[in-house]
Amino acid sequence: MNRFHTVRLSAITASLVLLAACGGEAGTEPEETAAAEAEPAVIEERQENYEAIGDAFKAIRGQMESGEPDFAEIEAQATDINARAQRITGYFPSGTSVDAGYDTEALMTIWEEPAEFETAAQNFVDASAALVTAAASGDAAAVGEQAKEMGGTCKACHDKFRLDTD
Amino acid sequence: MTTRPVKVWDLPVRLSHWSFVGLVFAMWYTSENSLWWWHTRLGVVLLGVLIFRIVWGIIGTRTARFANFVRGPSHIIAYLRGQHSKDANIGHNPLGALAVIALLSVMLVQVGMGLFAGDPYDGATGPLNGFVGVLTADMLTEWHEIFFYVVLGMIGLHITAIGVYAFIRMDDIVGPMVTGKREAQESVEGIASADWGRVAIAFVVAAGIALWVWFGAPPLS
Repeated sequence: MNRFHTVRLSAITASLVLLAACGGEAGTEPEETAAAEAEPAVIEERQENYEAIGDAFKAIRGQMESGEPDFAEIEAQATDINARAQRITGYFPSGTSVDAGYDTEALMTIWEEPAEFETAAQNFVDASAALVTAAASGDAAAVGEQAKEMGGTCKACHDKFRLDTD
Repeated sequence: MTTRPVKVWDLPVRLSHWSFVGLVFAMWYTSENSLWWWHTRLGVVLLGVLIFRIVWGIIGTRTARFANFVRGPSHIIAYLRGQHSKDANIGHNPLGALAVIALLSVMLVQVGMGLFAGDPYDGATGPLNGFVGVLTADMLTEWHEIFFYVVLGMIGLHITAIGVYAFIRMDDIVGPMVTGKREAQESVEGIASADWGRVAIAFVVAAGIALWVWFGAPPLS
C-alpha cells in the first residue's frame, strides 16, 4: 500500500463516527472489498450526523456534571440533537451496510427489520424532544432523568443495529 | 584476549521486553481495527507487565534494578565521551538507562489515559472511565489518540539507537535481549538467574493491581 493510498484511507476511516469518542481510525477493509467504487457520500454524512449528536450529548452531560447547568445551553444542544435525530432514517439507503464492504458499522438488520429500526429512531426523536422540554423547565432532576432516558434510546438502537466492537 | 558468554539479562527482563513489543503492536492493531473488546483487555495486560517490570526493577537481579543503572548527567556525559567500560558495567549503559525510563514512562502515561478514556454511551470505555466526568474522559480520549505518536517516536528512537549500535559500533544488543547472554572477557562476572520466589512476588503484585483496575478499582468505584 503506498503512502498516498494510506493517507486517503485514513481520511475515510478517520471519519468513522459511531466510535467517534473512541477514536475512529479504523481498518483497511474498504481496500479489500468495496474500494473499487467510491464510498457513498451518505455514509460520511450520517457519520457526521451521529458525531455531532455525540458531541451535543457530551456537552449536555458536561453541563449537568458542572453542578451549575446552563439550561439554555442544554436546551439548544437538545434541540440540535432532536433535529438531527429526525434525519437519521433518511441516511440509510439500501446497499450501505457493513456487509457491502464499506467502512461503517451499520448492520444489515437495519434493512432486514425496517419497522423496528424506524421505531428505534422514533424513540430517540421522542426522547430528545422530551429533553428539550425538560431543559426549558429548568428542572435539573428532570433533565438528568431525561438525559439518561435518551441515552438509553441511543444504546437500544446501537445494541441491535450497530456492529458491536467492544 | 579470550571471551566467553556471560549472562547479562535475566528471563523476567527479557520476557517483559518482548511482551512490550508484542503488546504495543497489538494495542495499535486493535485500535486501528476497532477491536475494542481486545484493546481494553490487552491494555490492562500491558498495565500488568509495566507494573511487573517496575517491581522487578526494585527486587530483580543486578542488571534489572533501576538503582543499579539509572545514572546522573555526569555519568551520561562520561559515557558519551567514551569513558565507560562495557565490561566493567554489564547491563544498561547510562544513556540506555534513559531509554528504559522514557519508554516505561510513555507506556505508563498512555495506558493510564486509556483507563479513563471512552464514553459509556458510545462504544468501549476504559475500566476507570466512571471516575471522571464526561468532558474529562473526552479530553483524555483525544490525548490518548495523540499521545500514541509520542510512544511511536520513542520506539523509533529506540530502534534507531539499536541500529547505531549494530551497524556503526558493531555491537549487537538485540541478541543478548533474546538469549540473555553476550560475549565478555574472562574477568567479567555475569548475573545470577532470577530468583523464582521474587518473580512470584512481582507477578502477584502486578496481576493483583491489573485485575483490581480491570474490575474498576473496587471499593472506590
